[in-house]
Amino acid sequence: MTVLPHSDDADFDPLAITRPEPVLLKYYACVALLTGPGFPIAFLPLYFKYVTLEYKFDDAGVSMRWGILFRREVHLTYRRVQDIHLTRNLIQRWMGLATVAIQTASGSSGPEMSIEGIPQAEALRDFLYSKMRGARGLGSDTPPEDSTSTAPTTGDAAAEESLRLLREIRDALQARAGTAVAERPDTGTADNTASVAGAAELTSEVARSGEAPNNDANSPGAPS
Amino acid sequence: MKPKIEAASQWCYRGVWGVLTNWFRVPDQPPTLPASAHDEQVRSFKPAVGFLQYLKLQFWVLCVVIDVAIFFGWLVIAINWPWLGVALAIPALFVAVVPDIVAYIAIHLRFDTTWYVVSDRSLRIRRGIWVIHETTITFDNVQNVSISQGPLQRYFGIADVLVETAGGGDVRAQQQAGNAMAAHLGLIQGVDNAQEIRTQLMSRVGESLTTGLGDHDDSDMRAAMTAWTPQHVEVLREIRNLVVAGADR
Repeated sequence: MTVLPHSDDADFDPLAITRPEPVLLKYYACVALLTGPGFPIAFLPLYFKYVTLEYKFDDAGVSMRWGILFRREVHLTYRRVQDIHLTRNLIQRWMGLATVAIQTASGSSGPEMSIEGIPQAEALRDFLYSKMRGARGLGSDTPPEDSTSTAPTTGDAAAEESLRLLREIRDALQARAGTAVAERPDTGTADNTASVAGAAELTSEVARSGEAPNNDANSPGAPS
Repeated sequence: MKPKIEAASQWCYRGVWGVLTNWFRVPDQPPTLPASAHDEQVRSFKPAVGFLQYLKLQFWVLCVVIDVAIFFGWLVIAINWPWLGVALAIPALFVAVVPDIVAYIAIHLRFDTTWYVVSDRSLRIRRGIWVIHETTITFDNVQNVSISQGPLQRYFGIADVLVETAGGGDVRAQQQAGNAMAAHLGLIQGVDNAQEIRTQLMSRVGESLTTGLGDHDDSDMRAAMTAWTPQHVEVLREIRNLVVAGADR
């Protein structure tokens, strides 16, 4: 589904992530230890954050929730991601962790979501990158140079279909005009509509089978 | 003598790098962007050499100021209390010299760990030694690109390119406060071809048809825009003629 070229484990599936790895608790303990005597005060909220932290990745977006007394939930969609920041400090590098911070266009300068405790942080970052707007846009679907001359590959089927429908309508109108001229003397409406329907079917069949059914397209059909 | 010093410093520096990469897990390869199936240009570059000289000039100025202050402080102490001055001579020398060496190495490391990677669609910036910070921005999300250059930077022929995305926060204030990791901002610092980079980035941004605020992918937009070909218009015109002729009758 996504291309993860330089991830160590190719079978990394971000959509399966629900919980941070246990090593995150160790990291939190280290961070709390750095405060020295403030360790219990610093560690307690981090511990409860670790215990309650849940991630949910789906096709459209990502959400995370944590907290015991004060609960927080953050939801965002991949398309609204503005920039992705991958931050690794020394302790995180030793433990193989990283913080993936996601920015949306909201008013705060701090990250809207900080995903911690995922060992495959680079793969996760690349997953988010591949989902984020603009990562696939410019180069992948349509090379820009052929976008003006011919129908693009993505809208190709729709363009073909609409062209065919238009031709059918034109031919039906042509047939109707022709029958209207032919049946001008007798103004039987039932007959007229029936013949029009028949003609429309006929021309639509022609249009489907023939590659270019508008051989007489250049002659404006209606004799006025 | 000079080449020997050069070689020795190189050797020391490589030793420092070895410690960093092995013990402190500093990546010694430039960052990459996920490869796409389509051939796109990925250009990775570093700050210009002028940036290193610029940082070194700042370093020397700061170094001289601090060391002179330390020296005069020591001199005052030594004149008033000679025995204390003798006792403090070694610590003062230590305080004066060791941070300078560390800072000097740190400047080189900062220069060597800063990487900018630009592809057709996105920009990735890595910076930092203790805290390694990687920013990824797609050009679809870029709101503006600006260049800033101070007089000293102009002397060294370098400039900073700021790539900003939508969203608030006091980015400028943070940036001026020295926080180069401010959000909503990609800072391409100390490059000598800022204009060229600006032009390249802006042309990429210009190719994006969206406002960078979460609208649909421009691939969809392109498809919607070009779904009507000249053939469609021709057939439509014929239909119009037929309908008009039918109405006339």
